[in-house]
Amino acid sequence: MELVEKLSILSAAAKYDVSCSSSGSNRKNKPGGLGNAAASGICHSWSQDGRCISLLKILQTNYCVYDCAYCVNRVSNDLPRATFTPEEVADLTINFYRRNYIEGLFLSSAIWPNPNQTMEALLRTVKLLRNQHRFNGYIHVKAIPGADWRLIAETGTLVDRMSVNIELPTSESLKLLAPQKKRDNILQPMKLIGSQIVETQEERKRSRKVPSFVPAGQSTQLIIGATPDTDLRILQLAESLYRQVHLKRVYYSAYVPVSTNPRLPALAAPPLHREHRLYQADWLLRFYGFEAKELLNEANPNFHLQLDPKSDWALRNLHMFPLEVNKADYRFLLRVPGIGVRSAQRIITARRFHSLDFTDLQKMGVVMKRARYFLTCKGKYYGQVPYREETIKEQLLAQPKGKENFTQLSLFSDFDNQYPVQDAISSITGEL
Amino acid sequence: MVIFLYDGSFEGLLTAIYEAYYRQPRPEQIMTQREYQPDLFSQPIIIESDPEKAGKVYRAIEQKISREALEHIYYVFLSELPGAGTLIFHYLQLGWRLGGDINGHLAVEPVRQVLKISQRVGLERHRMLGLLRFQKINGQGEGALYYAAFEPDYNILELIAPHFSRRLADQNWIIHDVKRKLAAFYNQKEWVIGELPAVGQLNWAENEAFYQELWQRYFERIAVEGRTNRKLQRQYMPVRYWRHLIEKPGKH
Repeated sequence: MELVEKLSILSAAAKYDVSCSSSGSNRKNKPGGLGNAAASGICHSWSQDGRCISLLKILQTNYCVYDCAYCVNRVSNDLPRATFTPEEVADLTINFYRRNYIEGLFLSSAIWPNPNQTMEALLRTVKLLRNQHRFNGYIHVKAIPGADWRLIAETGTLVDRMSVNIELPTSESLKLLAPQKKRDNILQPMKLIGSQIVETQEERKRSRKVPSFVPAGQSTQLIIGATPDTDLRILQLAESLYRQVHLKRVYYSAYVPVSTNPRLPALAAPPLHREHRLYQADWLLRFYGFEAKELLNEANPNFHLQLDPKSDWALRNLHMFPLEVNKADYRFLLRVPGIGVRSAQRIITARRFHSLDFTDLQKMGVVMKRARYFLTCKGKYYGQVPYREETIKEQLLAQPKGKENFTQLSLFSDFDNQYPVQDAISSITGEL
Repeated sequence: MVIFLYDGSFEGLLTAIYEAYYRQPRPEQIMTQREYQPDLFSQPIIIESDPEKAGKVYRAIEQKISREALEHIYYVFLSELPGAGTLIFHYLQLGWRLGGDINGHLAVEPVRQVLKISQRVGLERHRMLGLLRFQKINGQGEGALYYAAFEPDYNILELIAPHFSRRLADQNWIIHDVKRKLAAFYNQKEWVIGELPAVGQLNWAENEAFYQELWQRYFERIAVEGRTNRKLQRQYMPVRYWRHLIEKPGKH
C-alpha cells in the first residue's frame, strides 16, 4: 500500500485522541543530532476543527482485536485497515520535523494481535527514532494496557510523555461499552508509570546520569457523553488521578458519534458544551485551588449550561464576596469570576505601587462584565444591581449569546447554535 | 516641535536618547528618518549613530533600570510601529526615576504600552516558531538546503534564528523575511543575517513534493468533521500567514 494511503487511514484513525500538547519537556539537542523539545510547547498548525496540531498524531496500526462500541477502530467496524512499519513512522517524523511541520510524534495504536506485540512495535519505532536518527524532539507514546511492564518501562526511558486512556469514567460504563477492557488493567500501568516517574526524579536529583523517565509526565483521556456518568463522577475521578497518580493532564473528549450501536446515545453532534465546562472545571482544580466537592455535589451533579463553573460557584457563595481588590489575598482573587491566574498576578504586582480602581482593572485584562459583581475597588461597588444571588445571576445570564461560550479550549470563540437542544440535554444526563 | 531623527538602527535610537539629555533644545519625539513626514511646525534634527554614546545608554538601562526593561524596549523597537521611538523615550524617562520597579507600574500609560507591544512581538515570535515552513532545495556539493519564506508583522527574524540553529542544527537553512528583504543564513555552525532580494523559482529536492503532499493529506484527515470550527482556526492561525503555509490550499 502507498504511504500516502496509509497516512490517510492511520491519521484519520487517530484523530479522536485529544492530546496534542508538546509542553513540559526541555530535552536538548545533542551534537550531530536533530531536534529538541521546547518546555513551552509549540503549536505548528490549526486544523479545520480549530484544534491545534503540534505533533504528528498517528496509529501504528488500526487493526484491532477489541470491539469497543464507542471506538471507530473496533473490530466489527467495516473500514480500511493499515499498518505502518517502524521505519515508515520514523521517516515521516523526521521529514516532517525537518520542514518544521511538527514538534514531534504522538504514537498510539489499536491492539493487534495482542498487547505485548503492540507495545513491542511502538518501542521499536521509538528506538529507531532516538538511536538511529538521533532525534531529540518530543515523543508521546501510549502505554498499552495488559502489556508486559518491562516493555512499558523501557519505552518510558526514551519518550517525553506516556498516557493510558481511561476511556470511560466507571467500571459499569466500561462493562457496557467496552466489555473486553478491565478498569484494573488500565489503572495498574498508570500507577506503575506514576511511581516510576517519582522514583526517577528522586534518583536524578542525586545523579544526572540516570536516564529520564517520561519527563513531561503522564496524561489520560476520557470520553464524555457516551454513558450516563455525571460531571461530578468525572471530576472526582480527575481529582483523584491528579492527587494519587500525579497525572499531568486529564483530557475530556466529547463523544463523536462513530457508530449506531443501540448501546450508545443517538447524538447528532458531540456534546462540546459539556466538554468545555469540564475543561474549565479541570483548570479550576489544577491552577485555582478548587476541590471537586466545592464545584458539584449530589444535589447538583452536573455543570450549569449557561454559567461557567466559577461564576456558578461564586453565586452559591456570595457570603465570601465582594472582595476589596486592593486588599484581598492572591488565592481569594483567583476565586473571583473574570480574574484569571495572569490578571491576579498583575493585580498583586500593580497594587504594590498604586491602589487600583475599576478602569485599571479593565485595562489589566480582568473580565469586568463578570468580575464587577464580586469586587469592590477602593471600597466602591460597581455591580449596579442589588447584591443578591438572583439579580446578579440574571445579569450574568443576560450577556449576549455567543460571547462567553463553549468550544474546545477557547474562551473567546463564537459558537453558532448549530446543535439541537436535545443533544445538549442528553449529553449532560447521559441518558441513552 | 523638535523631532530627533535616527537612522533606523537600535544603536541610532539609543544615540538619539543619549542626545536628548545632552543637547538643547530637548526633543518631543524620536523617530526614524523614514517615518518622518515634514510639516510646517516640526523642526527635525538628524542624529548620527554613535556606538560609544549608544553603549553608554545601553549599560545605563541595564544597571539603573533592569535587564528586563532593556529586553522590552528592544522588542518594542523591533515592532517598527509608528511612535515606537517616542514611546521608548518616555518609558526610559520614567525608568530613570522608578528604577527596577518600573514594570510593576501597570497603571502608567507608557509602561502599559511598552509591555503590551513587547508582548505582541513576543507572541508573533512564538507563533512563527510553529508556523514557519521549510522546503528542501537541491544544493550543490555540500548537499541539501532548507529554505523558509515568511512575512511577519514585526521584525522578528533575529529572534527566531537562534531557536532553529539549536533545533535544526544538522542541516543548512535559510529563513527569508520576504517583506524586509532580509534573511538568516545557517551553515550547521553559525547563523548570520544579511540582505536577500526576492528569490525566483526554487529547484526542489527530489522528495519535496511528496512530503508536501503527505503533510497536506495529514492536515485534511486529522480534523474531526463533527467539530468543524473555521472561526477558531482563523483566530489562532491568522489568514495573513497562510500564503507561506504548505497545508493551506490556494496559497499561491
